[in-house]
Amino acid sequence: MTDASSNNRSNGEGMSRRTALKGIGAAAGLVTAPGFVRYAQAQSASPIRIGFQAHRTGIGAAYGRWYERTTNAAVAAINAAGGINGRPLEIIVEDDGTDPKRGAEVVEKFARQHKVDMVFGTLFSHVVVGSAPTAGELKMPYYVVSEGYHVASGKLNRYVVQPGITDVRAQVTSMAPWVSSNLGKKATMIFPDYAFGHDHRDFFTAAMKAQGAEVIAQVPIPPTESSFTRYFPQIPRETEVLYHVMVGPAVLTFVKELGEFYGSNRPEIFGFIDSLEAVDLASPGLEFLEGTYFWEGMPRYLQPDASDAERAYRNAVGIDENGASKDDPRDISTAAHMFGCWETLYIIKAAMEAADYKGPEDRAKVIEATEAMTEFAEGPEHPQGRKIFNGKIHQCFGHQNISRVEGGRLDVIHRTSIEDGMYEPEADYTTMSF
Amino acid sequence: MRRRPTAVQGGCAVFLMLALSCQTAFAHAAERGFVLLLPTAHYRVAGALAVLASFILLAFVPPRVLRAHARRATVLARVRINGQSAVSLLAFLWLVFLLLAGLFGSPDPLSNPLPLFFWSVFWIGLTIVQGAFGNLWAWLNPWVGPYRLFVRATGWRQEDKGALGKLGYWPALAGFFAFAWFELVDPAPDDPRRLAFVVGVYWLLTFAAMLAFGPKWLMRGECVSVFFSMISRMAPLSCENGRRIGTTLSLRWPGAGLIVAKGLPISGILFVLLSLSAVSFDGLMHTFAWFALNDLNPLEFPGRSAVMGINSIGLAAFFVLLASAFFLAISLGVRLAGDAASTVETAGRLVLSLVPIALGYHFAHYLGALLVSGQYAFAALSDPFGTGLDLFGTADMPIVAAITAGADGAWMMWNLQAAAIVAGHVLAVAVAHAAVCEGEHDGWRAVFGQLPLALLMVAYTVFGLWLLSAPSVA
Repeated sequence: MTDASSNNRSNGEGMSRRTALKGIGAAAGLVTAPGFVRYAQAQSASPIRIGFQAHRTGIGAAYGRWYERTTNAAVAAINAAGGINGRPLEIIVEDDGTDPKRGAEVVEKFARQHKVDMVFGTLFSHVVVGSAPTAGELKMPYYVVSEGYHVASGKLNRYVVQPGITDVRAQVTSMAPWVSSNLGKKATMIFPDYAFGHDHRDFFTAAMKAQGAEVIAQVPIPPTESSFTRYFPQIPRETEVLYHVMVGPAVLTFVKELGEFYGSNRPEIFGFIDSLEAVDLASPGLEFLEGTYFWEGMPRYLQPDASDAERAYRNAVGIDENGASKDDPRDISTAAHMFGCWETLYIIKAAMEAADYKGPEDRAKVIEATEAMTEFAEGPEHPQGRKIFNGKIHQCFGHQNISRVEGGRLDVIHRTSIEDGMYEPEADYTTMSF
Repeated sequence: MRRRPTAVQGGCAVFLMLALSCQTAFAHAAERGFVLLLPTAHYRVAGALAVLASFILLAFVPPRVLRAHARRATVLARVRINGQSAVSLLAFLWLVFLLLAGLFGSPDPLSNPLPLFFWSVFWIGLTIVQGAFGNLWAWLNPWVGPYRLFVRATGWRQEDKGALGKLGYWPALAGFFAFAWFELVDPAPDDPRRLAFVVGVYWLLTFAAMLAFGPKWLMRGECVSVFFSMISRMAPLSCENGRRIGTTLSLRWPGAGLIVAKGLPISGILFVLLSLSAVSFDGLMHTFAWFALNDLNPLEFPGRSAVMGINSIGLAAFFVLLASAFFLAISLGVRLAGDAASTVETAGRLVLSLVPIALGYHFAHYLGALLVSGQYAFAALSDPFGTGLDLFGTADMPIVAAITAGADGAWMMWNLQAAAIVAGHVLAVAVAHAAVCEGEHDGWRAVFGQLPLALLMVAYTVFGLWLLSAPSVA
């Protein structure tokens, strides 16, 4: 098992060879020479090559780093257990610069130059949306980990799958039952005034209505805004719960100014950890968040009732009890999302094994095998929890966590049912031809 | 160089279609978010006052006293041996090695040593080293050694020795603009293959130019050498090379080398202005203010390839703006001082005072990147071709990526940055004061003539501090 904090460098083909081979060496007893290793069973164990479309530079770099660490930990674990169908797994890293146009170029490079078996790992929605058509045209399976609703919406194509992380629509929808019955029936939403914020606004407003509750005010904030006090008077006095999804560098200022506005007499406050992913909650300026609630895909802080699988996963990725790198307590992980890389790789493995994948000619079979899946059981391969998979919309559904800030850390106080986040599918990819 | 297949075009079309829905947002809150909580406006005021106060205090010091100090140097060592060719040859071999790694090593820019060494160690690190320790680049450049070897082996003779003089710094100016464009605007300057191609071609072009114009091309036409040489003039360490005396290493006042009797020609003036505007624009183009100006949403930054047009124009426009402001200040100063010298002549003598500002901002702006990418470079060195080697035992070293993260990290970084910006401007004011009065009789009137430039520097201090504290994308 690799040390998660290692730099996870890649070889000439982009693969994290050191990572991958450590695992394979242990499993298959390969001959290793000092400082250099190679496959001894090349004839039967030519690697399965997976292109990792990574945000190594650009605005996604900080998140891309943790996605890569999680990916490398999963690859090492898979290889240590014998790889996929007895073949080792190679990761070929290409940087997309968190840039949709480059994303499409990277997918093409993976197909034509690196000749990978499939592409995986994209986080940022706009890169997914920019790359998906290329993946479709090149008939390249494209397993994304972006939590966007774009896959489930049916607007992409048959080769794009999101089986390892739930989408924003499900996440937001699943919050409404608990929020409305525990924090208040009258909600005000503060959100950045663009697509991301609008998704929250629309999905949450509808979900609250379905619960017999109400969003009484919506306060959009211009994305380039860096001071927020003048918007707070728009929050109605009768607001029982304030729902916020601010993102970007001004988030800390937002929290500070909200604290100054309300003092100790505040409504209940609920937010999405996306705002403060990778930020230490015990930071000065965030004290106001004490006693407020956050959505978390997977808990950042180790919970007392964490399963053995979850503990093993955290160990493999290399995060401590606070969700920070074991080597550097200041390096806070993107714990709420990065588990998606781990789980997606195990789904790729399961799909390839089910399809008896031999080579690129079997790519469509892997998609079909994925579409045929209906459920992923909680365990070492799915440490975040059980999931239901809808093959028609290429999207999984899972449990969500609601955590309360206590003493500068997040304690999970509620775990939603999978059904809380389910919605009527609006598409059916399986009817599309390959 | 980059193909744009139909698949990609289709991708862009669909991207535009879907861009209005279903977004994930992960805009990073970390470092700059903590800086936004600091009282940075107070720093801006204090910085401006510090620079203004330096100007007022210096007004009471006769420039000739400063110049006398500037001329003083303590010789630390004299070495008979001149190893320039040998060191340059080694640097050339190192470059070849890095280019091979770029071409055949990992495509991952954080695993391949070429982009890490080129952008972090060479461009960020060596610039700072030049500003502190003098013109090491005269030794470390990868051209002098191969050139001398080539000349010795072939007996190559350069024909027209006067041609270079007519060119001024114009080729270097054009080269530096291309370099800055590649760094700031090109969609993928970190891509190892792309970078290897660009660096390789540039090496060949420069070598060819040296054959055509002689080795002095490095001093006039090669933009990196011209830049490094200008930066090294402010170093407290000076290293002089002479055929007879060998190499002399001496200690002097920081910035002393920037006080010159003979000013730069117009192309040289523009070169210095471009180097300052390029690094400043690098800060500006990441600010929310720049995004807002261009009607872009920084929270869903569409990537470098989507802003090539506006950033190309921005880079050029910012250069024009800074150059205009500088010439306006100089021209006003010449009038106020009643100077006989022309604006260009005075600008040529004073423009080097901007070098400490450029270096101060370079240090402040790139410090975070240097601290993190420098570690990656160190690690990549152990396994340059991604073959699994671990030459120096650093291949799997943990990368402390959060070295500047959190409230404490942000506070430390911000103070270092602010100190560098203010120190650079204070030194600039001193250099300008020492350089302006050459041959002047009326000291006070000449000091009065420095006021416009000093005020420009005060304004630039505020601007520089604002760039480092404004909301920006990572």
